[in-house]
Amino acid sequence: MNYWNRRIASAILVLALVLVLNFLLFRLMPGDPVASIIDPRFSPEAKEQLRRMYGLDQSLPVQFLMYVKSTLSFDFGISFLTGRPVMDELRSRVPNTVFLLGTSLLLSSFLGTWLGMKAALRRGSILEKCVLWIGALSFSFPSFFVQLVLLMFFASMLPVFPLRGTLSVPPPSGGAALLFDYLRHMALPVLSLVLLGFGGWAIYVRNLMVKILGEDFILLARARGLPKKNILRRHAFRTMLPPLLTIFLLALPGIVSGAVITETVFSLHGVGRFLLEAVTGHDYPAAGAAFFLLALLTVACNLLSDLLYGVTDPRVRLERGNR
Amino acid sequence: MRDIFLRWSFWCLLLLIGTAIFGNRLFDAPPEREVAAPFSKPLWLDRTLPPTKEIRLSPESPSLLLDWHYAPPSRLSIRVEPSAGETGRFVLWRKPETEVPLRLAPLRGGFEADGRDIAFKRSLGLPPFGDAAASLFSEQGGYELSVSGEGPWDGDVVLKLEGGRWGLLGTDQRGRDIASLFIAGVQVSLIVGIFATLLATFLGTSLGLAAGYLGGWTDSVIMRIVDLLLSIPLLPVLMALAALWGKGLWQLVLILSIFSWMGTARTIRALTLTLRDASYIEGLRGLGAPSKYILRRHLLPETLPVLLATMTLGVPGAILSEAGLSFLGLSDPRVISWGRMLHEAHSFGAFTAGAWWMLLPPGFGIALLCLVFLDLGKFLEEKVDPRLRKGVRQ
Repeated sequence: MNYWNRRIASAILVLALVLVLNFLLFRLMPGDPVASIIDPRFSPEAKEQLRRMYGLDQSLPVQFLMYVKSTLSFDFGISFLTGRPVMDELRSRVPNTVFLLGTSLLLSSFLGTWLGMKAALRRGSILEKCVLWIGALSFSFPSFFVQLVLLMFFASMLPVFPLRGTLSVPPPSGGAALLFDYLRHMALPVLSLVLLGFGGWAIYVRNLMVKILGEDFILLARARGLPKKNILRRHAFRTMLPPLLTIFLLALPGIVSGAVITETVFSLHGVGRFLLEAVTGHDYPAAGAAFFLLALLTVACNLLSDLLYGVTDPRVRLERGNR
Repeated sequence: MRDIFLRWSFWCLLLLIGTAIFGNRLFDAPPEREVAAPFSKPLWLDRTLPPTKEIRLSPESPSLLLDWHYAPPSRLSIRVEPSAGETGRFVLWRKPETEVPLRLAPLRGGFEADGRDIAFKRSLGLPPFGDAAASLFSEQGGYELSVSGEGPWDGDVVLKLEGGRWGLLGTDQRGRDIASLFIAGVQVSLIVGIFATLLATFLGTSLGLAAGYLGGWTDSVIMRIVDLLLSIPLLPVLMALAALWGKGLWQLVLILSIFSWMGTARTIRALTLTLRDASYIEGLRGLGAPSKYILRRHLLPETLPVLLATMTLGVPGAILSEAGLSFLGLSDPRVISWGRMLHEAHSFGAFTAGAWWMLLPPGFGIALLCLVFLDLGKFLEEKVDPRLRKGVRQ
């Protein structure tokens, strides 16, 4: 098996285990999942019909297979709370979550990489100290606290940004106005995630860079008289990419988890807040669906960066592929 | 090891533990008591607002002058303790620059009224809407509260004014003292952080030792589980478990520890792998020592210093997870924790009230506790691995 196939196979394995975990969490928990919607005044036939509707009259293995089949076709059943198909509720929420995470990730990784490289080049400068401090602080302050403070000061006391929601109520008409309204609502969540994220990136980049700049091949490149920019871009930066991707991979689940908190703080119309509402409302199909989508997002990003890893570091491909 | 006394974090941790144990003695009321008006500002913040106070008249001091330079109090209540026998006395209220005092309440038989009671307002000739406090304190200047008339009098008269200011850190949406809530929160964060990490370390060490020493199938199964748990977002799983299993403090500790042993397991496994093939272990095996003996008597003690460091560094994670779950509203509402305080600030109107004093104390508390454990962990890590120390070239 070559590198690509192995990565894809392992992603599929993780996804399969996520399915099992999801089934265990939301189907096998103590208490009858349907009990919350069955009214004691229902006739026995009506109860039986409800159970059949949710497939609870089957044996567990059959239930599991039915569950896998419907989940893989993105049919998550009917919400206990709203009585509508869960997928209808989720469809409008997925783009918001992806936009929130994607934009903030891109911005914070660019800013962090740039600052980290600057800090590594100018060791002992004020910039380096600032980067190290911001990184250390962003590890110990809870993300929701920072976001709450930003919300308090920039939405409540100085009403620069809206206090809650993804769009104004009612939403403005017209394409440009709608887009502007959306961006205005997403600005503070994205900015807060960038603020929380870039410090960590900068520290990693700085540490990697400091190590790489001390290596012999950089010394050789300098001795050969290559221009400084060239050394940085072609030699140092290129070497830094694979370990940086590894760190990104490790941080990814935490970033997706962060969506739940960010969306709750800013009351965004996203998958994370939907999950929270479903969990607190004991809406099992909805909670299972939201968890599955978040896990799917993580596994997909995981796979993507695994594949990128193969592109940036040719050794991985050759080493494993020839075995 | 003696230089631990030079670390700020060590003394800070001692102080925090002391606060967790003895902190409730600093306040005379339990933290869940409602002591003042909701969203009262801290005392030092806004001096035009009236402070919350109690004025007491007794037979020894039957009248009292009140110098008032604030806005009217937000709420007012009066309690007249019953006196023995028929008494023709009244509680009188004289506003600045008026001659005729207002009859607030009769003294006989006891009397208790809130500024919002319609009967009380009607007896003063006030409209039935709003609070009597606004019209009783309509001006700034010297007020006089007195008891006059003939007859026996032995009970006290208590006038309670609820202003917009209270204590060191103000009050929350239910009028609880934030300073005492904050002190109560230290306990929960410390208990959850320390016990969840202890349990997780126990799990991680046993699984890591088993995986590293036994190898083979055990190893690959355990490590696959570690990989899986490290590659999915865990917060949703924790949320589901917290919502389904119940929200008590110890359930939370259990849930957190089940999902945070992976890092320790990895470290211990790696360490065990290097130790397993060391010649003294091989020698022991050659002498016929059982695995159990080798694991307990030789491998476990070797890993202890590393364990201590990873454990200390693991506490902030547990504290932050607990705070996150409580912030999402998935903790027991009766247990006061910093995350819970932030949850209440977020969902019960601190933002519309502009009550930033509800927000900052718990947040800084969490950050301080995390920094303390991070610093201690770094210190221990340097002890274990001197190469990490500053100034030592790698």
